[in-house]
Amino acid sequence: MKPMLSTDLNVADTTVEKAKIEVKDLNFYYGQSKALKGINLSLPERSVTAFIGPSGCGKSTLLRVLNRIYELYPKQTAEGQVLLDGKNILDRSQDLNLLRTKIGMVFQKPTPFPMSIYENIAFGVRLYEKISKAEMDNRVEQALKRAALWTEVKDKLNASGLSLSGGQQQRLCIARTVAVKPEVILLDEPASALDPLSTAKIEELIDELQADYTIVIVTHNMQQAARVSRQTAFMYLGELIEFDRTEKIFTSPREKRTQDYITGRFG
Amino acid sequence: MAEHTVASFDEDLRQISRLVNDMGDLAGSMVGAATRALLETDNALAQRVVSDDAIMDARQRELDDRAITLIAKRQPMADDLRNVVGAIRMAGDLERIGDLAKNIAKRVGSVGISAAPRDLTHSIDGMAQMVLIQVQGVIEEYTAGDATALAKLRNDDERIDVKYTSVFRELLTYMMEDPRNITACTHLLFCAKNLERIGDHVTNIAENAYYVLTGTQLPANRPKQDETAMSAPAA
Repeated sequence: MKPMLSTDLNVADTTVEKAKIEVKDLNFYYGQSKALKGINLSLPERSVTAFIGPSGCGKSTLLRVLNRIYELYPKQTAEGQVLLDGKNILDRSQDLNLLRTKIGMVFQKPTPFPMSIYENIAFGVRLYEKISKAEMDNRVEQALKRAALWTEVKDKLNASGLSLSGGQQQRLCIARTVAVKPEVILLDEPASALDPLSTAKIEELIDELQADYTIVIVTHNMQQAARVSRQTAFMYLGELIEFDRTEKIFTSPREKRTQDYITGRFG
Repeated sequence: MAEHTVASFDEDLRQISRLVNDMGDLAGSMVGAATRALLETDNALAQRVVSDDAIMDARQRELDDRAITLIAKRQPMADDLRNVVGAIRMAGDLERIGDLAKNIAKRVGSVGISAAPRDLTHSIDGMAQMVLIQVQGVIEEYTAGDATALAKLRNDDERIDVKYTSVFRELLTYMMEDPRNITACTHLLFCAKNLERIGDHVTNIAENAYYVLTGTQLPANRPKQDETAMSAPAA
């Protein structure tokens, strides 16, 4: 495995920990339009990394490359390498179903299935594993506990997932992601549609989950990035401008563009 | 530095730095006036220093209020955050400088002109000039954004420490020469100690200002030389 240290001038050696994901010379195209330009980045294992930047900077695109969800759309192509534990997931031979059990994703808008709370979680598990009813019950309970939702829903597991509040729905989506035992969790603006209390619960959850998972979060909320992440990547116009420890980015960034963005002096 | 997208944010920050500047100016004038009052036994001037301290305290409270409100409203980041937190800390040191100047001023009556002939206060005069230059310089360099000058200014405090040691020894000699000098010299010794403490607060301000400007801390170790503890008589 290559060392964490990047040769890129503005990408600091954030940590000596093992890299879970390494992005190398990544370019991404929406048709002819180049959305990501030569991204190099190492995401340490069991740690939260935040992607920040103005709308259209490529942060969500980068997140979508990490589990190849972009392939659902025609004319979207990625060049370069994304190494998950040293293996290039952009390789043609990569099994996409297997990839997505390893790398789960939670979206901005809660997306519960129109089925019961229990089934919302069991559905995904069944796709990959054949387990007994008792084991499934246990798996559902553990996932809901992991997502800090269990005490709120344990008496109504057969109620529709859609009957929950927005914050609960989002935690249900996180429980669903956790239930298939992923290694990496991608969060795309997971709390932007939630009230402050639900947001706090999601942030608390992220904090707990990083003990077991590698987490990548895209957020427009700078304070949220500062609160939840260990390292932060600032992106602008498809480029990675600066990547460093979160406290460094938010107290004394090296790049003027980073400084201007996080202090609200942009454009 | 470019303007913020939200213009009122700039205005809030400007008001905070205006208060730091005002407090810096006031601290300089209080230290200058307190030493002049001491050297010239000018009770009226001393009284003005005492009343200026109330203004200093009011400024600090206003700055604290504005800084806290700004943090709550704007959640400043990076240089803005360093600026606001730095202002709070610098204001704390400036307020302490005001207190120490007031303390010097309050001794003016006690020292008394007959008991404090010119030769007793001569070396304190020199020390006071050094301190005054530091107090005035630190806010000037901060306003000018000169981090290198601030680092130098912080190290210059060493000269005040050395000077304090020599003032201490000198006053001790006067006291041994003639016990009638003891009352005046003891007061003057407290004044010298207050000046030395003012120098330390200037050092703190320089360190804070350096951090605000650069985002990095000056190394913890600074040359330090107060030898009075060692040279004090055992009895």
